[in-house]
Amino acid sequence: MCGISGIIYKTAQKAGSAPVGRDLIVMLEAMTHRGKDSSGVTVAGEDTLGGLIVRLWIQDSEWGTDLLNSVESAVRAVDGEVTSRDSRGGFLRLGVDSDVDISRLAGLLISITGVELHSIGRSSEVIKDVGTPFEMDLRHQVTEIHGTHGIGHVRMATESRVDISHAHPFWAYPFPDITVVHNGQLTNYHRLRRSYEDRGHRFQTQNDSEIIAVYLADKLTAGATLKNALEDSLEELDGTFTYLVSTQDSLGFAKDKWSAKPLVTMETNEIVALASEEIALSAVMNTDIDRAEPQENEVMTWSL
Amino acid sequence: MVTLDASNFTTRELNRRVREAIRDDPDQHITIINPRARHNLAVAINNHSRVVIKGSVGYFAASQMDGPEVEIEGNAGWALAENMMDGKVVVSGDAGASVAATIRGGEVYVGGNAGARAGISMKGGQLIVRGNTGFMTGFMMQKGRIIVCGDVGDAAGDSMYEGEIYVSGEVGSLGSDAKIELVTEDELAAVWSALELHGINERRSFKKIVSEKKLYHYDTLERFEKAVI
Repeated sequence: MCGISGIIYKTAQKAGSAPVGRDLIVMLEAMTHRGKDSSGVTVAGEDTLGGLIVRLWIQDSEWGTDLLNSVESAVRAVDGEVTSRDSRGGFLRLGVDSDVDISRLAGLLISITGVELHSIGRSSEVIKDVGTPFEMDLRHQVTEIHGTHGIGHVRMATESRVDISHAHPFWAYPFPDITVVHNGQLTNYHRLRRSYEDRGHRFQTQNDSEIIAVYLADKLTAGATLKNALEDSLEELDGTFTYLVSTQDSLGFAKDKWSAKPLVTMETNEIVALASEEIALSAVMNTDIDRAEPQENEVMTWSL
Repeated sequence: MVTLDASNFTTRELNRRVREAIRDDPDQHITIINPRARHNLAVAINNHSRVVIKGSVGYFAASQMDGPEVEIEGNAGWALAENMMDGKVVVSGDAGASVAATIRGGEVYVGGNAGARAGISMKGGQLIVRGNTGFMTGFMMQKGRIIVCGDVGDAAGDSMYEGEIYVSGEVGSLGSDAKIELVTEDELAAVWSALELHGINERRSFKKIVSEKKLYHYDTLERFEKAVI
């Protein structure tokens, strides 16, 4: 069991204008009975003044001078420049000026020993940590981050380790801004992963959910619309799933053919909120608004 | 008449107060306000009484109960009225998946739509849904009656043993070992009168889904049954 949530301010006029970080934390905290192993969010639609946000993490270590030098030389190697730097424990958030080869930058960063890349986004970032959403917020001040949309997750681990690497959301390495949170288990993960690895895709964890992000990125790169990619996944992913995806300008969900994992949606003229349980929606929205429970084989997308 | 504000209590304490109020007065009317979609509200009530919940409830609302009437003015999450022995549960809005799971008696009425696996493993009683129900309605149902005024999703009546599912709208598809049978006049009259009690007076037509009884070997007796014979 896990809890997932998402929100999009459809009519947001400009980047960074809505309290997305706060909304996600409030929704997730209301669902901690669905999982307390780890928490995570993607806040998207941040105002980055045209730059990139890079989120890195290193296990059992801090960001000393040598490591930071390695990271900065990776950015310089793709003709980029570090415009801001914020490290907390093993976490590092970098601002990088844009127009760099993101795929190459990602490759250089994860080749630094011990470094994991949580996300690269033009306007989004992944923040994830062990513990509850409130604990994560105390450490990372997620509630202060504004954007236009985002997704979040509380995890009760079933398929892989409990640690920061295996917390959601998962970023679709190396495609900027595409991230996924998932509730369920994928049974054709190993077969799919082998086929993606044969085609050169990289995976950073042993978590079955990571493949959804890679799967969607692969489809979108091949020219599919987000909605088509979600629809295809109903057939091509096997197992139980309700997952949410956040891209640079959209939010979407897909629910499996068994209708095995819950999702409740609420929509107003301005906002769409999604969560595993209504208890999370009532924590951030007026509960008089009609909610709907999507059924099997259902997908929906919303864009800014 | 007792009014309990759910926001003042833990769920355990709230349910304890409900049971306490009923114990002293079996005709007690209890109103619960500010439920805010919390789980496990008004569970394990085993006396006659009337409980009204003003707002949406979460999972397992009004479950494990025997006797009371519970009215929910809002929506319900998964497994509403799960394992009810007797009583009546009315929800004005939608119900999530597995509504009326394993009930053995009583009645559950959903004013809106219900999710997947409505009436899963019912062992008696009645489930009425004014709107539609989802995937695998009546899955492994063993007894009782489900009435759906709207459509049912795919795999309806999958692996059901006994009981009947009446559907007025479309049937997405039939599940394993389920078949559609003609509805007799007596059965139709019984369905109509069950609906009338909820103010549904239109004389709709219905089809009936029952077990084809090919999946299980009903002629095979349990060991103790053989000993009795």
